[in-house]
Amino acid sequence: MSACDVLIVGGGPAGLAASVAAARAGLSVLLAEQRPRLGGAILRRALDGGPPRMAVPVRHLRAWERLEAERCRLGERIRLMCETVFLGVDGAGRFLLEDRAAGRVKAIRPRGVVFAVGAVERVLPRPGWELPGVLTAGGMQLGLKETGEIPDGSVLIAGSGPLPLVLAAQLVAAGRLPVAVLERGQPIGTGLRHPLLAARAMASWPHLIEGAAAMARLVRFGVPWHGGWAVRSVRQAGEGLEVHATDAAGRERLYHVRHLVLHDGLRPNVTGLPATEAAGVPVLRAGDCRDVLGADAAVLDGARAGELLVRRIADPAVPEGPLPAGLGAARRLQDAFTALCAFTAPPIPPETVLCRCEGRDRVTLDALGTDPGARTVRLIGRFGMGLCQGRFCADTVSEFGGFAPGALAGTAPRWPLRPVSVAALAALDVTDSDEPGVGQDAANGQSC
Amino acid sequence: MSESAGKSFLWNGRAVRFQPGETVAAALRRAGVTAFGSAAGGQQGRYFCGIGACQGCLVSPAEGMPFEACLTLARPGMVLGPVLPAEGPGA
Repeated sequence: MSACDVLIVGGGPAGLAASVAAARAGLSVLLAEQRPRLGGAILRRALDGGPPRMAVPVRHLRAWERLEAERCRLGERIRLMCETVFLGVDGAGRFLLEDRAAGRVKAIRPRGVVFAVGAVERVLPRPGWELPGVLTAGGMQLGLKETGEIPDGSVLIAGSGPLPLVLAAQLVAAGRLPVAVLERGQPIGTGLRHPLLAARAMASWPHLIEGAAAMARLVRFGVPWHGGWAVRSVRQAGEGLEVHATDAAGRERLYHVRHLVLHDGLRPNVTGLPATEAAGVPVLRAGDCRDVLGADAAVLDGARAGELLVRRIADPAVPEGPLPAGLGAARRLQDAFTALCAFTAPPIPPETVLCRCEGRDRVTLDALGTDPGARTVRLIGRFGMGLCQGRFCADTVSEFGGFAPGALAGTAPRWPLRPVSVAALAALDVTDSDEPGVGQDAANGQSC
Repeated sequence: MSESAGKSFLWNGRAVRFQPGETVAAALRRAGVTAFGSAAGGQQGRYFCGIGACQGCLVSPAEGMPFEACLTLARPGMVLGPVLPAEGPGA
């Protein structure tokens, strides 16, 4: 009954690579993207549809151009629906997509689905992390890519891993010097003590060059980078934020800034996604949504998922098979980065908000008693019941509660995943799928 | 109200200019609006993740469902405010 064989959710490198792979095999593809344009977070277009307003490594641009050329060559076999979000799977086994521009919900029955909805940032809770003015590194970076602008006011960047460093260098290039970059781990000391680990982290030339260039830019412009420092608390102070940071030796620093960027890592954005099948339809995950390996690996992984899905549609019992060698290498590189930047998270004070959606704090969690179990924490404590569905609290809450992080979400996904009007759901468009988004594509300069 | 006919929308009754193709969140942040008003659990609405995951930047149009300011394109004449009325349930 559906006009498409395959549904791909997410229009970044992995989703586009999966679409191309499935279309090459002769299947018709519906590619749904929540933004007005394809590209994902890595290739977020400028407002006018042009290239990102910020240096993106050339290899990512080239890889994207190749995929776009393939998409255009395949023509009508890949149809786009932009400004469209995945809501869930209904009782009749239909995949629900909300076309936000049209205010309509479409219900389709594809023969296979790939989710390629990227990663979500990990940010550890601390007092004040819920305040306006505190944002993720990705959140800051996306604005920069779209407009080339940074909102007025001073910026402090704190967290762990390569992204805070890269973002700091990008801000410098855009003309704004961050007050400082605070890294929780001590990668330099760790690297000197464990040269083999350092060698593994430096095994990828493109990443090595990118990191070295970012660090060189910070040094050249006198932006301080402090290893072993973490933001412990934040409070509102006038129009800005007062940020309290400490290091392992207990030394303290106080910063007064307008914007605080926090980033403690990345994890697959899998909240509310079916794992291997839904309503008998085979489902796969690709790119950072399967394993956070970055944009290079996402192209490989998207193609892998697209090809595997084609085989699963013919025979659901087809085994996954070994991952391409490039994905194994990317995993080892990420493991080495993680080990280099390893840190011990400081204790979380009782007044700390854990659930950003509903302001539930650690006192509330502790009041549930010892070993309350995931069900009590969710249904009585309401942790993980807010609109983000636990994306930003599940790790911490499950650690306190002594259960697996996935347990907070319960056994059944909570659909719809996003706010949607009852009217749009009631007026469900089941005939669907014959004319998705053609006008939109042209309007967004994405037609071929 | 006449300026809202051009490239601006209303935020809490104040005209906020935007560039074509820009999201509501980007325009608000450029205008210096960091706090997006009352939200659930005594929280303030605010821009955080930029990818529609945290749901922290929900804003309400005069008519219709709240939406993520970080995903939604600004359109001329939109009338927007906090996701909850100012006297909403506090923490």
